[in-house]
Amino acid sequence: MKVTIDGIPVDLPAGTSGIDAVFHAGRDVPYFCAHPYLSPVGACRMCLVEAGTPRKGKDGQFELDEATGQPKIFWMPKPMASCTMQATEGMHIRTAKTSDVVAKAQAGMMEFTLLNHPLDCPTCDKGGACELQDRAFEYGYGASRYGFDRRHADKHYALSDFIILDQERCIHCKRCVRYFEEVPGQEVLDFIERGGHTFIDTEEGGLPVGFQGNIADICPVGALLDNVARFRGRNWEYEHTPTTCTLCPVGCSIVVDARNGRLERVVAGENRDVNEMWICDAGRFGHVFATEERLTLPLVRVGGELREATWDQAVDAMRQGFLGHGRNVGLYLNADSTLEEGAALVALAEAIGTPSLDHWPRYAHTPMGTATLADVATADGIVVLGADLGEEAPVVELRILEALRGGLLPAEFAHAHGTAIADLRLTERPARQPEKLAVIGRESRLWAHAGIRVSAGGPDILTRLSRPDTPELQAALRLLEGAERPVLILGADVLNTADAAFSAALNGLAARVGAKVLALPAGANSRGLGGLNLVPGTGGLPYARLDGVGAAFLSRLDPAAQGLPGRARGFTVVHDTHLTATAQMADVVLPAVTNYEKRGTTVNLEGRLLPLAQAPLRAGEGADLIRALVAVAEALGIRPPVRGLRGAQTWLEGRYGLRLADVPEQGVIQPPRPPGDAATGVSYAPQLWKPRMVPRPERRGSGVLGREARTELWELPMAPSPQPGGDD
Amino acid sequence: MSYFADKHPLVADIFSRYPDSPQGRRSALMPLLREVQDAEGFVSEARMAEIAALCGTTATEVRSVMSFYSTYHTLPTGRYHLQVCSTLMCSLAGSDELWDHLVSHLDVQPGDVSADGRFSVQKVECLGSCGTAPVVQINDEGYYENVTRSKCDRLIAALRQDAPPPPDNPVPVTVREDGRQMMATGERVGASIHDRGPLPMPAGAGGEA
Ligand code: SF4
Ligand code: SF4
Ligand code: FES
Ligand code: FES
Repeated sequence: MKVTIDGIPVDLPAGTSGIDAVFHAGRDVPYFCAHPYLSPVGACRMCLVEAGTPRKGKDGQFELDEATGQPKIFWMPKPMASCTMQATEGMHIRTAKTSDVVAKAQAGMMEFTLLNHPLDCPTCDKGGACELQDRAFEYGYGASRYGFDRRHADKHYALSDFIILDQERCIHCKRCVRYFEEVPGQEVLDFIERGGHTFIDTEEGGLPVGFQGNIADICPVGALLDNVARFRGRNWEYEHTPTTCTLCPVGCSIVVDARNGRLERVVAGENRDVNEMWICDAGRFGHVFATEERLTLPLVRVGGELREATWDQAVDAMRQGFLGHGRNVGLYLNADSTLEEGAALVALAEAIGTPSLDHWPRYAHTPMGTATLADVATADGIVVLGADLGEEAPVVELRILEALRGGLLPAEFAHAHGTAIADLRLTERPARQPEKLAVIGRESRLWAHAGIRVSAGGPDILTRLSRPDTPELQAALRLLEGAERPVLILGADVLNTADAAFSAALNGLAARVGAKVLALPAGANSRGLGGLNLVPGTGGLPYARLDGVGAAFLSRLDPAAQGLPGRARGFTVVHDTHLTATAQMADVVLPAVTNYEKRGTTVNLEGRLLPLAQAPLRAGEGADLIRALVAVAEALGIRPPVRGLRGAQTWLEGRYGLRLADVPEQGVIQPPRPPGDAATGVSYAPQLWKPRMVPRPERRGSGVLGREARTELWELPMAPSPQPGGDD
Repeated sequence: MSYFADKHPLVADIFSRYPDSPQGRRSALMPLLREVQDAEGFVSEARMAEIAALCGTTATEVRSVMSFYSTYHTLPTGRYHLQVCSTLMCSLAGSDELWDHLVSHLDVQPGDVSADGRFSVQKVECLGSCGTAPVVQINDEGYYENVTRSKCDRLIAALRQDAPPPPDNPVPVTVREDGRQMMATGERVGASIHDRGPLPMPAGAGGEA
């Protein structure tokens, strides 16, 4: 399809929208309501262009322009919204660059949008990263002729604990409303009133926790703001670090915004293959632990009490403590540690000669997954077995809903052109097909969207699915059999008891119905660490049997809080970011860094290598696991086999052929490596929000009052004002 | 307490007018709102939630649709809800003074109901009866036209006795299923295609031809 934009001819796939065509030609058009992952609505009228098409005469031939002999272009009488207009064969489009009509219409539209917009930029969190600000500068008149009072409305309207709305700033683009309807499938936000009185509100008593934070990212103005990050910094003061979220095995792309060494905000990054551009609320708001109550110095137990010390003193204390334990040393790390850290730990365990090494959380046996997130999003039959996705891997839930809505956004436009805007085939209020989803297990958020729900549990549920004994299970099996691209998703409730026989049964069923399998790993990187065989060897003790080893080193694990033994028999070293219950019982505590402050590589649930980058956070003398293990090796009198990131990568390349130095930001899928099996001795109960992640304003040290105090304040002097009947 | 719990035939009747699909169920939103407002004078949050459950949607959406129309009330109204037109023609004819008079006389502000539960007031835009300005509409019954101060006082006195005089003109309301308009009084106006029988043909008309 040939289209001409400002005289530039371009060749485009049929179905391209006018706005995409403009971008493809390298020209610009301002927009507010259009969004790459949401349906086009044409609400803001900023994307005006002039458009014209050739016309065929009675003879079926194009009518020709007498002067030029070219097909004559019949221009539409008024500027058109290019986001909802389909480009057609032979169409000509003029943007503001070549058309005064368009330039004037856009400036007029800008003036109109700004009529009721407050002059808040100096105090607005969006300032410096605001689409309205930028477009007003580029396309506006630079002055307003509106001499009257602007609209006044509530400027601090809390839609939930996390999202605060400034009603005056809203420009009614409807992105947030469409987001909730189209992405998480929750109709909890809508326009109230009409005309200039319109505002966004919910009648459900707050926004559901899950995926609400994304609306703060997509709001083109500063109307919807992240309440955890509000007033914490200006956009140009933040250090933006694109990295990977490691709170769960999805591995969403995120951008960490730090200022003065504090982590103030997390926003979603874009990775079309993983999280598109949505992240869950835990990933967005649950970062507060990285800044609060951090451990910044080593602690050594002296006279029964933990005292601050230097690293040298800590190494001395460890040297004393490890004496006499020989090889009877256990090394345990959190399963969200990077591959490089895992390599350093495995190498050290080998150097010591101890079989007691482990990562947690993990399952005793993990069946190999074969499905990618794109497979999930394009599946035509999905069975979720024993998983609570909201706790285990929230974004998988969004990808499932995407499949129910008709699959992936067509990628042809996105990849071919620079700035893709949502496809015209996307519709508002999409019809979902619940019959494509079966959920078997305990009740969870996903139930509301499932056509087939089976309340069942127990280790034999997979067997029951392959030989169904109830009509619902039969329906679920039929769904798998009838689908062309079925996907089977397995969660903690079945994986906790999985063994080799389970894997065999699973593979049998998957082969029979042609399904791909997505087994949700327990920890963010347990798929990667399992592949390094980071599990107890023969005679080794797992994490849950910590009290069986003579001396132990634990990295960012808190067994005491889990109700497990919190100490080794003789001597315990804890490497952590906080003074956890276990750390309080330890003999030596080494300060650690969070995953926001690390370079390295993680492996997500698809087996995709994803890079971590280091945000500049204040961590005192905190060290990552590789450096902490160097200190441990020193204390043990061993030459540390891996001394740094580079060394770890060389070790990984040497042993497994993994090349980690140049993992692209979007990640690469690596061929699956079966994790080693080893009993864990304890079952894993997934929990997404850990206690330290819950933001409490009073703990943020900002002087911002807590919720109770704020509510009290609000309720004090204000009597409810009468609402005029005409506007009620 | 639920409003629709004991009104199954009514609810079934309303739903029967729309396609039997999720989208169709949502279309029943407006008549359900109307039903509640007619019965209770306003639609409370509890009722919004109830309607949402009936239609298979969320209370947010019910409120969104409802708030688009200024004729749905979220606050209780009195037995007589006086709607005073305040648009240009009525304004020129003294609707501002009429409003002030009403409000001070009845001692009620917009959004409130008078202590005896009788009166609530609302300023509305043009009622489409500009020729007889100023105009007051009471409930959905009809228009009181050319409302002078003395007419206003007579009206209030009558309402206080719960004996409202008949309106000067009824409000034309909905189009029924048979395509016919009805006055609020129930009087049918206009014609419906369903009334049309074959044209009376005199015997032998057309002849042999
Ligand atoms: S709150 Fe933001 S995203 Fe929502 S309609 Fe207003 S401007 Fe758009
Ligand atoms: S879904 Fe998982 S990886 Fe993504 S933001 Fe949430 S916790 Fe992080
Ligand atoms: S109308 Fe908003 S971007 Fe086109
Ligand atoms: S101006 Fe009052 S009825 Fe038209």
